[in-house]
Amino acid sequence: MKATKVLVPVAGGIALGALLLPGAALADTTVSPSTTPVGGTVVLTATTCSPSAGDAIFHVTGPDRDQNVRSTTVAAGGGLSAELFTAGFTLGTYTVAATCGDGTSDGSATFTVTPIGGAQAGGRDGSGGGTLVAGATLLATSLGGAVILARRRRHAAEAATL
Amino acid sequence: MRGYRLGRLLVTLLAVGGLTLVGVGIARLPPRPPQPDAAGLPHRAAAAPSLPPLPRAEPVEVRIPRIGVRAPLVSVAADAAGALEVPPLDRPGVAGWYRPGASPGELGNAVVVGHVDSPAGPAVFFDLGRLRPGDTVHIARADATVVRFAVDGVEAYPKDGFPTDLVYGPGGAVGLRLITCGGRFDQDRGEYVDNVVVFATRTA
Repeated sequence: MKATKVLVPVAGGIALGALLLPGAALADTTVSPSTTPVGGTVVLTATTCSPSAGDAIFHVTGPDRDQNVRSTTVAAGGGLSAELFTAGFTLGTYTVAATCGDGTSDGSATFTVTPIGGAQAGGRDGSGGGTLVAGATLLATSLGGAVILARRRRHAAEAATL
Repeated sequence: MRGYRLGRLLVTLLAVGGLTLVGVGIARLPPRPPQPDAAGLPHRAAAAPSLPPLPRAEPVEVRIPRIGVRAPLVSVAADAAGALEVPPLDRPGVAGWYRPGASPGELGNAVVVGHVDSPAGPAVFFDLGRLRPGDTVHIARADATVVRFAVDGVEAYPKDGFPTDLVYGPGGAVGLRLITCGGRFDQDRGEYVDNVVVFATRTA
């Protein structure tokens, strides 16, 4: 009887702790990197799934997707991994829930598919630079012409004095 | 003698034309947008009051008192090539909210993009590079709430080295990222070589 009185609050505390710390329950599945430009590849890993129990299944859900991905590799740090290619994915956040080969859940994780590169957020009119270059070219040409004219005039003057 | 006079006339016309074009060219050169400090500024969030995230709501207006911005917001996503869309260039006073991401006030980073300039001159985020840590950004939402953010830092990144994770990545805070163009204008490519990113954290 005493044992029951002690165990109930302890179990309640553990359950409350699990509710307050959802990250702890999510830690067994990882996605790396957690953010990828659309078209990039992320690696899904079920860290506590035993390869001897069979392939792990990663259930990927998100804005336009509900698909299963089967593990293909034994992860270097333990568990099972698969690569996921995000070409054609809609931008947004996706959830990956892993199930081990023996049917046990290995938790879940999220990753985000983002636009590629930066933003083309400028639209200035660059024609001022072109006009400047054209003007400089005309000025240089006129300067060259002036030099030629001056030489001709000098030669003509020299010839007249001979 | 006639040839000499003709030549002199031609040289004079060329000089006058050249000077005119140079003058027009200088007058038409657009102003260069201000840039963040060359050394870069930290983009770590300052200690902010502990505020619970807000539910999702579409933002409708961005205000940045320090640089006199008060602009309506439209939704943007990505184009067919996967690049971030920007508001239409014929509406340079409008900024765009990245709809697939967090809304301002939600947990995570809300992203707002705006043009730095347009053929008509400076655009909505022309002065973004002038912002400094502590400056405030206010976002009004469709649910009648106004979310206030404080700037943590402003940095410029080459477009081919855009910090995707810092801008869009998940985080444990309610953040805001403002994006525009900056750096040198590449005449050959017809675009700026950098993106200016403002990092901000919710304060109220």
